[in-house]
Amino acid sequence: MSTRRDRLRTFAAIVVLGFGVAAPVVAQSPTPAPQPWDTFFDDTVVHEIRLAINSKDWQSLQIHYLDNTYYPSDFRWRDQVVRNVGIRSRGTGSRSGVKPGLRVDFNRYVTDQVFLGLKSFILRNQTQDASNMHERLSMLLFRRLGLPASREAHTKLYINNNYEGLYTIVESVDKTFLQETFDENDGYLYKYDYPSDAQPYYFEDRGSNPDTYVPLPFKPETHETDPRPEFIVQLVQAINQTGDAAFRMVMAEYLDLKKFVQHVAVENFVADNDGFLSDWGGMNNFYFYRFQNKKLFTFIAWDKSEAFKGGYEYSIFHNITNGPNASKNRLMTRALSYPDLYSAYLDALLDCARSAAEQATGVTDGPGWLEREVQREYEQIRDAARSDPQKLFTNDEFEQAVSALGAFARHRGDFVTAAVSAARAQR
Amino acid sequence: MIASLLVVMLASEGVTTVGAVHAVGAALQQDPPAQATSGKKQKKKAKKLAADAPSPDEIDDPDSDGPPDIGGPGFGVVWKQHPSIRFGDAFRLDFEARLQEDAHGSYRGAPGLNCPNQVLPTTCLFQLHRNRVGVKGNFFKKIDYEVERELTEQELSDKDILLGYTPKSQWKDVNVNIKYMKKAQIQVGKFKVPFGLDELTSVSHNDFVYRSLGANYINPGRDIGGMVHGSYFKHGLTYAAGVFRHDGGNARSKKVQGGDQTVAARITAAPFRRVGLAGNIDVGTALTVSSLSDDPYLPNGLRGRTILTQDTFFQPVYVKGHRKRWEADVDWTAGPASARAEYTWVADGRVQQGLGDENLPDARARSWYVAGTWILTGERKRRPLRADGEFLQGGFGAVEVVGRYERLWFDSAGGTEVGTPSRTPRAANILPSGDRALTLGVNWALNRWIKLQFNGIREHVEDSQRNPISGGGAFWSQVTRLQLVL
Repeated sequence: MSTRRDRLRTFAAIVVLGFGVAAPVVAQSPTPAPQPWDTFFDDTVVHEIRLAINSKDWQSLQIHYLDNTYYPSDFRWRDQVVRNVGIRSRGTGSRSGVKPGLRVDFNRYVTDQVFLGLKSFILRNQTQDASNMHERLSMLLFRRLGLPASREAHTKLYINNNYEGLYTIVESVDKTFLQETFDENDGYLYKYDYPSDAQPYYFEDRGSNPDTYVPLPFKPETHETDPRPEFIVQLVQAINQTGDAAFRMVMAEYLDLKKFVQHVAVENFVADNDGFLSDWGGMNNFYFYRFQNKKLFTFIAWDKSEAFKGGYEYSIFHNITNGPNASKNRLMTRALSYPDLYSAYLDALLDCARSAAEQATGVTDGPGWLEREVQREYEQIRDAARSDPQKLFTNDEFEQAVSALGAFARHRGDFVTAAVSAARAQR
Repeated sequence: MIASLLVVMLASEGVTTVGAVHAVGAALQQDPPAQATSGKKQKKKAKKLAADAPSPDEIDDPDSDGPPDIGGPGFGVVWKQHPSIRFGDAFRLDFEARLQEDAHGSYRGAPGLNCPNQVLPTTCLFQLHRNRVGVKGNFFKKIDYEVERELTEQELSDKDILLGYTPKSQWKDVNVNIKYMKKAQIQVGKFKVPFGLDELTSVSHNDFVYRSLGANYINPGRDIGGMVHGSYFKHGLTYAAGVFRHDGGNARSKKVQGGDQTVAARITAAPFRRVGLAGNIDVGTALTVSSLSDDPYLPNGLRGRTILTQDTFFQPVYVKGHRKRWEADVDWTAGPASARAEYTWVADGRVQQGLGDENLPDARARSWYVAGTWILTGERKRRPLRADGEFLQGGFGAVEVVGRYERLWFDSAGGTEVGTPSRTPRAANILPSGDRALTLGVNWALNRWIKLQFNGIREHVEDSQRNPISGGGAFWSQVTRLQLVL
């Protein structure tokens, strides 16, 4: 489910960049009102965030980085100061005591306190990404294709006036995000939380006991005291128990399957092996939102640190057709068994390729959007990344990772387009 | 199980004697020493009981007196108040059990009413609140000992301990009391830090289902240490002073380590005993000083929670330096009536606890309560409540109405001069947060072993944003407790 704003943006981009002549029309189209937090996610600059925190708290946070304990802090961005915010270590595989990923909560200690309308945001530490760009590039592509995803920008983080490294500001998936994205926020939001020691899960039927789904792996993020897990049970049973004849009709109540395959296609295009079709745990890294007063769910992308690592030759059917049946995702397998959804999946991959290859205005034979974006971000963050005192990668590894991203951007579209053609020919 | 216990207790109404062991009647053993007044025989008995005076952690606790040993050689088994093994004057071993089972209710979703070990929050009507067993006794009447263990405490998992959570001991009172010098007895082991009238009243003797907020959350409770204590003027003046490893279990929780080495002293007096005022008035005061470390990475300050529902209305703040406590109390009894009042003040140092490592003003916690009781069936007030005529034994038991009004609140010294009030654990000016509670109840002591307590509790958390009720209003909780004491 995309925002009206994103749909408009996508439409405008297609019109402007595809046909070139429609700019005056787009300019006259109604544009969404600017949000107060737009400047905070302005990705044309590297921001600077300063946190003042008791020195012992910062040490404690680093030592106990596996713990979710909040620490009080004063937050400064540009000339704006927010006092008494709460920060804590966050992340799963990216957790680090050297360079902690942080969640910043403005309303942790002061109820209803917000910053530019935001209740919280994430400072991603990029400890799994030498390029520092996987996350931001992926989310941009999701948004370009009209799929819900967080906005992101890079920032230099200072703790007690000491530079602690290059981070990515990530928009929290919370009620503010839901309101902006879906024009409502009173539905039921879950974060898919895959415990590292849990059995892999592929949306198979675990029975009718709601406890096997909520609070893990579907962790309630809203309505925590009354998370209504029965709708997830119904969805899972619909996936697993509905006959072929009724499947589409029954599932339409729970999921927009075309949007779903589009979500998976974008993850596949960016070669994310830790998304909905994860190499680890079966499924991973998404939020799941059930609209208010409906049974309808939608996926929201999350954490694309592992994207691009599979290289530009990452199979478009990775974890779809390969592997044993027991480890194939039940929902994806059933969805792609329908020719129109199979075709929609391939179309979505081609959309990704087209978006990645999109030329700059007035240019016909230059680098595509993705390659330009890699270069733009690299130039933005290069100095901050190289001088990052807590980075977990060497500067050479950073440069090599950026080069690999450039190669990915140049070749991924062609590879995917060829693979889609081959898939269609075989069908 | 409860029915079986009842049968066993009723069957044990008599005394089983093996060998040369004797026991005196229940009426005598329940008389506090100060009440024995006239006649040589009674004076002699009073003197005898005074020698067996309650330790400071069980003020006015007739249970702990037990039947006086008449002495004599030989081994015997007695069951009067407790099953007891004795070997003349050389050795005594009493077996004790205290079981408290609750049925409770409050507003929907109250965290304190949740069933244990449930994936999703589920309210439980019944709770096994306390199930304690123990032994106590003495050697040669000069060395008392006591061991008590709680059977219902949940142990922490390895993961909890790795996360820095503090284990709560299942061992309660584990100590010896050496009383070669009556006026300077020495107690060593784990027992209650001598602080707080309500806290020092045995949980099975309390007038209410739950102790006061101040006793529960800012009084020390039990700890390991050593103490010298004694009394003068037939308990007209008592004192206790000791050193403890920490500052008691009440200041600790799963996440809070609490204070470190603690010195404590308490003194009580009955100043009007000879003046002839109505009833007995005891006044007491106590203080403790503890060192406070910021070594734990979690805030180490005191925490405020509601009584039954366990809503946290004040989260611990970061502290370092010293924790100073002071309390004053008064305890009045006259015939079937009694009244108690207590005020407690705590100040926690906050050295280098600001965001910029600067010193912050002391964090404070204060509490008070006033409580009154009246025995409708006319018995003289004592703790525990005892019936002149036991239920189904020719009487109805003792019925008592009780009431208590109290407040517990937290803030910091310095006021608004040091900054805007805030709820953060490093706020220079801590936003005040408190809880006011009114408890009304009825106690029914059926016999020496069984007591039923009915309490209705109205609470109002003062900080509307920490109030569990939307709109910031008051809420009622109800609890019925069945208590069995062996």
